[in-house]
Amino acid sequence: MAKNILLVDDSSTMRKIISRSLRQAGLDFGEIFEAGDGLEALEMLEKESVDIVLSDINMPNMNGIEFLREKANRDAIKDIPVFMISTETGEDIIGEAKSLGAAGALKKPFTPDKVSEVLGPLV
Amino acid sequence: MRLTFAIGERLEPDLEKYIIESTTEIFETMVFMELQPGKRHMGSDIDMDADIASCIGFGGDIRGLIGVHCPLDVATGITGAMLGMEFDEITDDVKDAIGEIANMIAGGVKTGLTGNNKDIQLAVPSTVCGKSLRIGGPARGSSLVIPFTVDGGTFYVEMRYMLS
Repeated sequence: MAKNILLVDDSSTMRKIISRSLRQAGLDFGEIFEAGDGLEALEMLEKESVDIVLSDINMPNMNGIEFLREKANRDAIKDIPVFMISTETGEDIIGEAKSLGAAGALKKPFTPDKVSEVLGPLV
Repeated sequence: MRLTFAIGERLEPDLEKYIIESTTEIFETMVFMELQPGKRHMGSDIDMDADIASCIGFGGDIRGLIGVHCPLDVATGITGAMLGMEFDEITDDVKDAIGEIANMIAGGVKTGLTGNNKDIQLAVPSTVCGKSLRIGGPARGSSLVIPFTVDGGTFYVEMRYMLS
């Protein structure tokens, strides 16, 4: 069964580009939901059927690290895998994200081929 | 004052390299437009023709701002190329796209600096529209501007910075 994806990024442009890259990568996925920050993402996860989250790190209101920390405290959604897509590539911040449960990270900018390579196994 | 000047001179070639490499990578992978970097300019006495500017602050071992300045035709052209749509005025999509370009350039600079044992933390980008836009920066800091020519005109990446 195709998996539903939640895109979390404060840039609407980036959300559109990630959606397009997923399609261009030929990955089989279901519905795509969108959220502009960690707070919106938590609300979306509580009310929609989401299988995978692709999240930015550097966002207003609630950033990607805070989102991971808060999500880990909510039993209903804590096991939904999160993959970080960010300009942040430092070992410290990616290491922190992974310690909070992130399944991996993809650096911006990216190509559709890179999206397929990195996210294909998840989707 | 003399220390700031000396540090600015030493960092300048590395920062120019990080900006050119990250901007080129962004345009190759996500904008799909050819671009040509021009000669770098040190100092704020450069006339940047821009209708929209997006800047992102940073702090840490180095503090300051990175800004992207675009004339209308360049901003709409870049956004159109990124999203596969046509734009002829500055809309929320154009503001968002130029903000994301600034964000990714700043991310590339951060990655480069990390490899140079300097750590910075990035804020979220802010975008403003209007003529004769200028961005501020740390007092007594250095200013580096690199022009990039694309189909439709020239945009500028500016970095104002100083060591903390």
